[in-house]
Parts: sequence; structure tokens; C-alpha cells
Amino acid sequence: MATSGNKNINAKLVLLGDVGAGKSSLVLRFVKGQFVEFQESTIGAAFFSQTLAVNDATVKFEIWDTAGQERYHSLAPMYYRGAAAAIIVFDITNQTSFDRAKKWVQELQAQGNPNMVMALAGNKADLLDARKVTAEEAQAYAQENGLFFLETSAKTATNVNDIFYEIAKRLPRAQPVENPSGMVLMDRPAERAASASCCS
Amino acid sequence: MTESASYPPIDPTTFDLILVGTGLPESVIAAAASAAGKTVLHLDPNSFYGSHFSSLPLDELTSFLTSHSTTSTSSSHPHLPPSTAIDGEDYISVDLETRPVYSDLDISSHSSEPLEHSRKFNLDPAGPRVLFCADSAIDLMLKSGTSQYIEFKGVDASLVCDSDGKLSTVPDSRAAIFKDRTLGLTEKNQLMRFFKLVQEHLASDGDERGDNARISEEDLQSPFVEFLKKMRLPPKIKSIILYAIAMADYDQDDVEVCKDVLKTKDGIDRLALYQSSVSRFSNAPGALIYPMYGQGELPQGFCRRAAVKGCLYVLRMPVTALLMEKSSGHYKGVRLASGQDLFSRQLVLDPSFVVSLPLASSSPDFLQEISLDFRLKSAQGKVARGICIARSSLKPDVSNLLVVYPPRSLYPEQATSIRVLQIGSNLAVCPSGMFVLYLSALCDDADQGKKLLHAAMNALFTPDVSGNPENSSSVQCENTEEVKSTLLWSALYMQELNMASFESISFTPMPDGNLNYNGVLDATMKLFKKMYPDEEYFPETTSPENSEDDEGISLES
Repeated sequence: MATSGNKNINAKLVLLGDVGAGKSSLVLRFVKGQFVEFQESTIGAAFFSQTLAVNDATVKFEIWDTAGQERYHSLAPMYYRGAAAAIIVFDITNQTSFDRAKKWVQELQAQGNPNMVMALAGNKADLLDARKVTAEEAQAYAQENGLFFLETSAKTATNVNDIFYEIAKRLPRAQPVENPSGMVLMDRPAERAASASCCS
Repeated sequence: MTESASYPPIDPTTFDLILVGTGLPESVIAAAASAAGKTVLHLDPNSFYGSHFSSLPLDELTSFLTSHSTTSTSSSHPHLPPSTAIDGEDYISVDLETRPVYSDLDISSHSSEPLEHSRKFNLDPAGPRVLFCADSAIDLMLKSGTSQYIEFKGVDASLVCDSDGKLSTVPDSRAAIFKDRTLGLTEKNQLMRFFKLVQEHLASDGDERGDNARISEEDLQSPFVEFLKKMRLPPKIKSIILYAIAMADYDQDDVEVCKDVLKTKDGIDRLALYQSSVSRFSNAPGALIYPMYGQGELPQGFCRRAAVKGCLYVLRMPVTALLMEKSSGHYKGVRLASGQDLFSRQLVLDPSFVVSLPLASSSPDFLQEISLDFRLKSAQGKVARGICIARSSLKPDVSNLLVVYPPRSLYPEQATSIRVLQIGSNLAVCPSGMFVLYLSALCDDADQGKKLLHAAMNALFTPDVSGNPENSSSVQCENTEEVKSTLLWSALYMQELNMASFESISFTPMPDGNLNYNGVLDATMKLFKKMYPDEEYFPETTSPENSEDDEGISLES
């Protein structure tokens, strides 16, 4: 859930899409400005945070990557919980990945929070020669299903910052909090128990 | 997405470790083994994470409990001769079957209207369960990085039933003792003196000069109940310490029925755990916390940790058979429902599995040997569990609370403590305006278990008013501030208590009868150490996940 205070918005953002669509590449480009040509399937990093300043607010994204659990459709409910935004990624050179993206949208509509901001990213837009999914087709699908659509390239950085920026703009500024959030346990030694606290 | 048949084949086909079942012990082992650099495949036949440690919507809970229960008709297990097939040249396959771990399942609706919003429930089959703030489970979550995925809330009140059937607040801190109006001045002083003695004893640990502050070794080895008597604590205080703070299960005053006498040493340790829990996190007022969305978040968190370290996850994938080496009978791999064969050095199974072996006469010699290996550690009694959904809270202004009914507090033959945990909708386990109550008690058999649960339910809920839905508001009971709540739905069941076992194939334990996870996680750690004697159990890392980029770049608007 996006929580706001002094126009500081914390928003959990989840990535969805088929293996190889470029989910991790998009995040790496956005967070670190890097691109790796032959990125291995996601292992190791699955949690990033990145702050964006938009006109009226500072949005701190807490970005969750799938950690590979999407490969056999085994994402846990935990993954979707409290997500304020989602980017569904497909590969414009692969029709199947677009079909799978539609399934992920259905899954989100079933599992996610109804106010979620959803973006559809047609990734690998630099590979125009190999294009299998037209921008028009994806745009039409996005419009029908209440998503916004951008073609991105993690390789050339085209539209990568833009898609996160657009999400930041669309996040509700004040959202009724469905379940007041609990506390996250902080790593403090038990000896200093009296001063240990949890952020909430 | 539910189309299970469309899975691509699993690649690779050989792993260091395969685990079947995503209960908490399996999930912790998966995370620990992945962190130690092992290649791990984690399978679950269910469509959800957590197995016996999950949190489930109402409908799914019902079908999960039903599918793992013995049916009342005893002939329900036509034991087909297990099949052993000679596969190819090198190995044979042995069927993998499930055995019932729940029995005497009784699901009743007590309201004329069916409960709606099944999916708004997150119900724990292993309840009641909480975490003490100073539990080793908390340290494990912090150390492994699992804690960042899970949010908790404090359990606001802890109540205990006295011999008159009245509930009173557990005085668990100095301030609470002072404020407690039910304690007389003498009782307060006795309790203060006792807590001071315990504190001095704990503070003197390892301190040579503090010897006279220590409780004598003789006392430490004696029953805790004797020590409390020696400290001249009145029966009411004794009962609070034994059953609501040290969480003893059996009647400590009755040597006949007490199967587990709490020693002073262990009693003191549990008091210390409780005391350090009370002050550990400033946002948790009491000793106990509960995860938002239910206990099933814990295995999910450990599975995510495992996945981040490379563990492969496949839900909705039953294992139909084990593959054994023909010459030696050693475990080689598993056969999936999809028909694919996968291989691993080690295998860990959820406790609801059994390896069915062919008749000894028709099988090679080695099978008779492994049949010994596969025999599970025999069940030691049972735990009676109940899940109740109610319309109102037991205490009007408190949503999440623990109630302990010590032995003999409800009826003379009550041999074990009954613990009740009420969790409200602010922990996202049920729709607003409802409360989930979990009950548990150790028992020898189903009759005893049912009697324990029913006694507690009679004390908690108004008599069945299902014929009269208008009368569904809560009823004030005589001169106490607790109200009796109206029961809407209940599920009662007996669960087997199986220990972990380490053999050529390892089994994880069932949820135990305790309120916290320390017993289960201790067994899990021992299992891991036996499997991987040379590996560290969750090596210390500076940043648990790759989030070193907090300052980040800011894009101008």
C-alpha cells in the first residue's frame, strides 16, 4: 500500500512477466543505470529501493523482483500483498511472452489490490527487426484493461525512467489504508532491548 | 494461473537437495541449504505455500484438513499392494503415498447464514501459534533476511483463567503487577520478590562472585512446581507462572497425569524468555507478536529467501514415486506427476508422506532394510486443535489476545492446559467485525481432546443460538468485563505429533503442541546439521538482500 506523509510516498512495486522478458534488466537499468547483454535468470538480487522526485511528492519505490519464482507459476501471495504498483513486462520480439503478460494481468486483477497502478512494458524495443508484437496491439490491450503502455529498452535506456516516473505520477497521493500496517522487525541486539524499536 | 499441465520440464534434472512440501521446516532447510551454495529444488503438490504451516482461505482450509484426515469409516484405506517397478537398468521406483495426519475432523456452521468472503480469511492449521519477541525464531528471521518481508503486530493482552472460572490479566511486568487490582498487597510483594530472585539468578550467570545470588543446583534440578511452593507463592500466582508464562502443558501438581514435569531450570529459562520478550520491541507492548496475514507468511518468507539464493520453486507438482538404486537400495531421485524423473543427493519429505514398500517376500533384501529406515518416529500423543470464527471479541476493547485455561480450571479431570489465541481483522486474517479463535491442548486420544476443546468452547461462547439469528449479539456474563461471543463456524481436529527424522531420506516434523516455533525450528536446525555437518546454518551477512542503493538517483521533474 502506498503510504503518504509530507508528500513522501512509499510504494511497493512488483514486476511480473515471463522468464526472459527483461524484468531484472529494467530494474537494473532504472536503479543502477546498468545493462548486461546476457543477464542470467534472476538469482541474488530481488529487492531494490529507488527514490523519484515528481512535481508534488517524493516517491520511494520498494521494488520486488520475482526471484525466479514465476518460472513455474509459484509466486507466493506475499509477493502481491500491499503492492501499490506493478509493471508487467513482455518481450516485443516474442508473441508468447505477450500472451503470458495478459495472464499475469488477470492474476494481478485476482490477487492484487484494486487501486494498483499497472504498467505494461513492451521491452527490447531496440530489436525492431525482430518485432512480433505491434505497439498498436499492445496499446489497445492496455487501454481495455486499465493499464498504461510504454515500449522500453533496458539496453538503450529508452523509456525506462519514464515508466517509473509515470507510475510515480499516477500513484494515489492519499490512500485509505485498508489494513493499518504492522511493524517490521529491526536487527538490534537483544541487550539493547529497551531502546530497540520497530518502524511502522 | 492454474494450468498445471503446461509446465515446462524442470531443468536442470540433478540437484544437491530436493524437498517435497513447503512447510516451515522444509522452507527453512531450503533457505539454509541455498545460502550454503547447494542446488535445491523445492516442490509442493499443493497450489499454496506452507503445507501444515500455511494460512488458508476458509474453503481451502476445509479441503486441506479433509484431504489429510482419516475418514470415520475405518475401511477407508484399502491398502493396495504398493507397486515396485523395475525402471530401466539402474533403479527401481517405489510409490510415494500420503498418510492422514489429522483425525476426528468436525467442521460445523453455527450460523443460519453461510460465511461469505472465504478469501478474506487466512486461517492457520497449526494454530494457536505466536512468536515471543525474544524467540530464537525471531533471531533466525533477522539473520536470514526473512524479517524484511513480514510485518507483525503485538498480541495486546494475555489472560489466564483462575479456579473460579474468571479470567484475569497475566501480570507480566513490574508495572502490571502494581496495577493489578486482583492481587492483594501480600501477593504483589511475593511476586516481586520472586521475580527479583529470578533476575538475580540470571544476572549471576557466569559470574563467580554472584554465587550466593544463584539458585542452588539442587533446586534447579527439582520440579519447578516444588520450587514455587518453596518460595511460598500462593496457588493463583503459581498457576499463572506455570501455565500462562512458562506455558507448561501438563498438570504439574498431579504426578499421575503429568507426562512432562517442568524442571526449575527450564521454568526459569521460560520466565527469562518471557521477560526479555516483553521489553524487546517498543512497538509490541506484550511478550507476543503475530504476523499480518497469518502464520503462513513465515514459510513464504523463507521460500523467498531460498529463491533469492537460487532455489527452484514448483508448486502444484506431486511426487508419485521415489527412485532407488537397484543394487544398493540407496535413494536416487523422484518421479514427478508430470512423468519427469529428477535426481538428488538428499531428499527431505513433509511428514504426511510415507514410502510404501512392497511385500517383503517378493522384494529384494535391501527393501526390508530400508523399511526400517522409513518407519516414522512413533507419534507421541496428539494435539487437539480448534479453529473458531466468532462475531465479537472476548474483551470488548481488545482484538488480539491469548487466554490460558490451566489444568483443572475447567473441569476436575482436565489434565492439560488449553490455550486460546484470538486474532482480529486488524491482522488481516478475517473480514472486519469477525474474530478467529485458535484452541489447542495436548491429549492422549480423540475423546479426551474433544472434551478439552468443548470445555473451552463452552466457556468462551454463548450456547448455540443458531435457530435464532436475531439473537446474535454478544451476551454479557455475570459481573466480569469479558463477554461471551457468538460462534459462527468451527473446525475441530486431532493432529498427530511426529518428530523429525534423519535417515537416507529425512522427514520434517509436524507442528508441535507449543505456542511458539522454538521446538520445531530447533529440530529443523538439527536436521540441517545432520544433512550438512560442514555447512554453516545461515552464515552471517552484512546486507541480507541487495539493497545497497538507498540514496539512489533522483530524477528531476
